[in-house]
Amino acid sequence: MSPQDNPQFPPNGKLIQPLGIGFPYFAELPADLYRSGLVAFVEITPETLCRQRATATTPQIEIVPNRLATAQETCAGLPLVIHGVELSIGSAHGLNNAYLKMLDSFQKEWPFVWHSEHLGFQTIAGDNNSTLEIGVPLPMPATVEAVELVAARSAMIQQRYRVPFLLENPAHYFSALPADVEIGDEYRFLNAFTEKSGCYLLLDLHNLYCNAVNHHFEAREVIDTLPLDRVIEIHVAGGSWRDGFWMDAHDGRVPEPVWELLEYVLPLAPNVGGVVFELLEDYAVRLGTSAIEDELRRAWQIWNARHGAN
Amino acid sequence: MALIDYQTVLGRMLREQRSDDHLRDVTLDERESRYIENVRDSAEFRFYASVQRSWCITRATKAAHLTLSLLPQEERQRLLDEWIDSGAGAQSFFFVEADLFLDFLGKRLSDRPRELTMCQFERATLRAGDGVSYFVAPDPASLQNPDCFLRRGSYAGLVRFEKGSNDVHEQGPLADLFHAGMIVMFSPGLPQLWHEPSAEEVDLWEVLDQPASVRTLLSHGHSSETLETLLSQGAIEYEYEK
Repeated sequence: MSPQDNPQFPPNGKLIQPLGIGFPYFAELPADLYRSGLVAFVEITPETLCRQRATATTPQIEIVPNRLATAQETCAGLPLVIHGVELSIGSAHGLNNAYLKMLDSFQKEWPFVWHSEHLGFQTIAGDNNSTLEIGVPLPMPATVEAVELVAARSAMIQQRYRVPFLLENPAHYFSALPADVEIGDEYRFLNAFTEKSGCYLLLDLHNLYCNAVNHHFEAREVIDTLPLDRVIEIHVAGGSWRDGFWMDAHDGRVPEPVWELLEYVLPLAPNVGGVVFELLEDYAVRLGTSAIEDELRRAWQIWNARHGAN
Repeated sequence: MALIDYQTVLGRMLREQRSDDHLRDVTLDERESRYIENVRDSAEFRFYASVQRSWCITRATKAAHLTLSLLPQEERQRLLDEWIDSGAGAQSFFFVEADLFLDFLGKRLSDRPRELTMCQFERATLRAGDGVSYFVAPDPASLQNPDCFLRRGSYAGLVRFEKGSNDVHEQGPLADLFHAGMIVMFSPGLPQLWHEPSAEEVDLWEVLDQPASVRTLLSHGHSSETLETLLSQGAIEYEYEK
């Protein structure tokens, strides 16, 4: 089956069925939240349902059956999208093949509508062909080599899973990244990436807001330069100050300027399938379902202004 | 600068924050070297380094919360620094990170029996909890074969809470277990992961420091019922497994 034969795959960048507002799956939250009608689809980071097992050759990522079963029961009936963190798609020494093998199995157990990852790298090569984790995700330089590497890998992944593959614009704290004149900057990187790969974007508005605050630019001006017809998913999230930087901490409610960016961008992005309110699990538990529901309702208001209430 | 050089140097600078050897095996020209040094001197890099280190500490502290809570602040910090300065602490999967850190910690607590016991307790709990997702009670039929070899279970553990005298931790975590001098066996097949083993079960565990055949175990007076019970709980397993 070619990607174009898949009814969930947007032919030539045209519409994907809009889903509405989504929320990450967290085992620690009450299942009722996912059945409240406020969550139209669920976003899962599959690694949270997995464990890593060291073998004689390379590490493997294995799905833990009872974690998967619990997640499927909690999210029964909701469309699923994947938001991975372990791929390290930009690592020049190689991406995480164990992650892809795990995702092969995952897709057979629980098909997903689209699949996203973070644009960046978090591993480097160690001795004897080992892989070393850096401990924090780092941004890609805006170079031709980096674009070509990420675009080729993304096209391969989109072909492998036959669903749209999205890369998320990262938050980062370097005011200037290495750049080739042919690419320009990290945002023009996204244009070059979608053109070369045929893949899509997850526009993380909080990441963009972080960078705008920390690096002193206007987020809307950057939005106007992006290939918005390639945006399939949008993230909104909260953050906090740390050591003089606004940090992409996913630790609370969505700041007002990020809501305003959502209001701005939704009418300009014709192929958005869903908006997700992102949180880290520890903070989701601390924030509580009542506050989470408030944020989801706010997101629905903005979504419905664009798409109309069901 | 080649992408792999850029990433290698940046990654090393974050993983090996107290080393100056991040340019090894990497060839940079003068302009590229200057760029890297400027990055390293920047407030932005220091922020990354601070975040990376704090995330590593958070993961380690979560893994060994009780053990670290028993240590004096200076000793706790010294061990965490040693762990992170070795380049460890960056694993994203919690079990892998926690197991490695508890192993590291256990090797450095030989002169602190109370803290070592707590470390063994946290590691046994971690492993038994991890094993719950995988453990399936094996068919006991192979126990009928006297040449069948048994060993300690991959997800099992035994912790001895030695009763101390005049111990400052008498009121600390799990003080009741220390006070009672309790022995606890952890097995993934037990509903609560642990139980207080019988003397025969403890003896069997000690003998299985090395794998042994059913024939040997029975000849040393261990009962087939005990073998079957511990096998069903995952405290022991057939040697051919995993």
